[in-house]
Amino acid sequence: MEEQPGLSEQYTRASPWPVFVALGLVLTEFGVFLGNYLLPVGVGGVLLLETSVVGILRESGYVDSLWPASLGVGLLVGGVGVALLTVGRFNRGVALAGAGGIAVLAAVGFFCYERGYL
Amino acid sequence: MAVSPELVFSVLMGLLLLVVAGWLTRLEDWQAYTPVGGGGYGESTGHGHEEKPAGLTRWLTTVDHKDLGILYSLFGIVAFAWGGITAMLMRVELTTPGMDFLASFGGVGLYNALLTTHGITMLFLFAAPLIFGFANYMVPLLVDADDMAFPRINAIAFWILPFATILMWAGFFLPLVGIDIQAAKTSWTLYTPLSSTMQGTGVDVFLLGFHLSGFSTTMGAINFIATIVAERDSVSVPWSKLDIFSWTILTQGGLILFAFPILTAAVTMLLLDRNFGTMFFAGEGGGAMLWQHLFWFFGHPEVYILVLPPMGLVSLILPKFAGRKLFGFKFVVYSTLAIGILSFGVWAHHMFTTGMNPRLTASFMAISLAIGIPSAVKVFNWITTLWNGKLRMTAPMLFSVGFVQNFIIGGVTGVFLAAVPFDLVMQDTYYVVGHFHFIVFGAIGFALFAAMYYWFPIMTGRMYDRRLALWHFWLSIIGGNITFIAMLILGYGGMPRRYATYLPQFMTWHAVATVGAFIMTFGVVAFIWNIWQSAQYGKRVDSGDPWNLKQSDQFTNEWQWYEGKRQTMLADGGEEDADDAESNAAD
Repeated sequence: MEEQPGLSEQYTRASPWPVFVALGLVLTEFGVFLGNYLLPVGVGGVLLLETSVVGILRESGYVDSLWPASLGVGLLVGGVGVALLTVGRFNRGVALAGAGGIAVLAAVGFFCYERGYL
Repeated sequence: MAVSPELVFSVLMGLLLLVVAGWLTRLEDWQAYTPVGGGGYGESTGHGHEEKPAGLTRWLTTVDHKDLGILYSLFGIVAFAWGGITAMLMRVELTTPGMDFLASFGGVGLYNALLTTHGITMLFLFAAPLIFGFANYMVPLLVDADDMAFPRINAIAFWILPFATILMWAGFFLPLVGIDIQAAKTSWTLYTPLSSTMQGTGVDVFLLGFHLSGFSTTMGAINFIATIVAERDSVSVPWSKLDIFSWTILTQGGLILFAFPILTAAVTMLLLDRNFGTMFFAGEGGGAMLWQHLFWFFGHPEVYILVLPPMGLVSLILPKFAGRKLFGFKFVVYSTLAIGILSFGVWAHHMFTTGMNPRLTASFMAISLAIGIPSAVKVFNWITTLWNGKLRMTAPMLFSVGFVQNFIIGGVTGVFLAAVPFDLVMQDTYYVVGHFHFIVFGAIGFALFAAMYYWFPIMTGRMYDRRLALWHFWLSIIGGNITFIAMLILGYGGMPRRYATYLPQFMTWHAVATVGAFIMTFGVVAFIWNIWQSAQYGKRVDSGDPWNLKQSDQFTNEWQWYEGKRQTMLADGGEEDADDAESNAAD
């Protein structure tokens, strides 16, 4: 397959990630805090935030590969979820722990891919 | 079977994530990333790379400080329009003593919601973002930096704002589509116990937006501090040659760094009180006074967060059109720093009538009066800069002079209010409203208009319409003074603030204030029309020095950059020439 340069490769003053970091942060705070039927918005927001943070870290060169960032972000979010579970906030706790777990799973996937196991 | 809201939101979020993933896959190739290291980008296009994509993608993905400056400015103007519309709705209602104009739209409740959003919008969504807009565009140019220290964080800070604003304004629009989330009616100071006990998700949604906007401001401030301290070219711009606007932005950054976390913490505590059963602000806990202390410990530095950069703008612009350097530059910088430090010691002057210990009120009065000294130093320096100067009464100059006039009235009425005996009488009257409107619109607004006209040629490559700008100025200064002086008189008469209805004895001066507000509105319409039209069809600037700054040896860095850019464009046969050719052909 012919390689096409990505936007931030081609243009020196452009990055697709900041707008999604911001949107992810806002949806996370809005959905997770208000909870109830808005919790799916929060879960979507967390996933968007996790992806964007990993993407922006990778793009700006703060990390060399995807899996450590994904693992770190997943553990952080998952940790908050577990903390909420321990104080009895079941729905929010499960939402965050689950979203963190997805990022950890993604980290495993990235690790296998980068090491050539996949 | 009824469809549950959870399912609807799950599907909607799934679709959103798919759209985002699709767009990102089209734009980005993660495999192709070549790490470029943290920090600022260079201007270099040595690898055949262009700076930005075209069209809407450019604006959604830009991390260029100049583009973000323009985005911040546009956002500020939209917020200004919303803040202005809400003000006019209130002023029309206040023309007569009873509840009539708003009665069929929501009555007193709507008035309270308008009051809340007007205050928050003008302070946090108009003034602060517009300051950040100019600072984003100009500070890196003024300090000879390639870009802001953290370009991506700069973009994140901007993009949080529109999303946060949607949350803050949502309560006005959601009821129109059948969703029962009402706008917050807490007033902008969010005093407890009203704000902690008021029912409705609308208050929480508003608070979440407010909370998020604080993140944005703090991220922006950190970026400005890092840019001025670390990205500044220390050879061409040593500390001794740092311009006055950058000094005020640096001071503002410091104030934000210390003040905004307090607001964020206080709003978090308020949200927890409302939703999770904590009792920070309940009578059994810290009580209502705790909120006032926390809020004003943030809130009074916030006044200086908003006014110091406009003071820097006026200090920068006045000398350019007075034909001489700023009088006592060092003292203007020292007074900026002094105001910044003293601003953290005056917060309780908002609380003189709450039953505080009189010894405490005396100390807060002393510091509040003391802060008048560095403020007066600035006024003295501006006037002495004008003295015997060769004045050129351009639009930026007129607005700068208007700033000084309004600031003197706003400042002196503030000195009165700092005195405990006077404040005990005037607390919570229209006198206070008149005082801070002289500062927020008369000073901060005027300085931002001055900056908009002054840098319009750099930001758009075109000149504004001078005639419309003059209309803008005269309508604003006349309308503003009519409205705000009427408010001061109302306050002397005992008219309490925040009320949607009032006793008939106050009607005359309320009517005068409304007439003044309409005059101001015509001025603002002239401004927005001028900016919109001139940015597209205005006369093209034909030199890198449209203000003849070289004459008085004040051709500062940003204009040097602009001249260099024009020369590069001319040499390359760049965009401007192509546009010119097109417009000539069209002519």
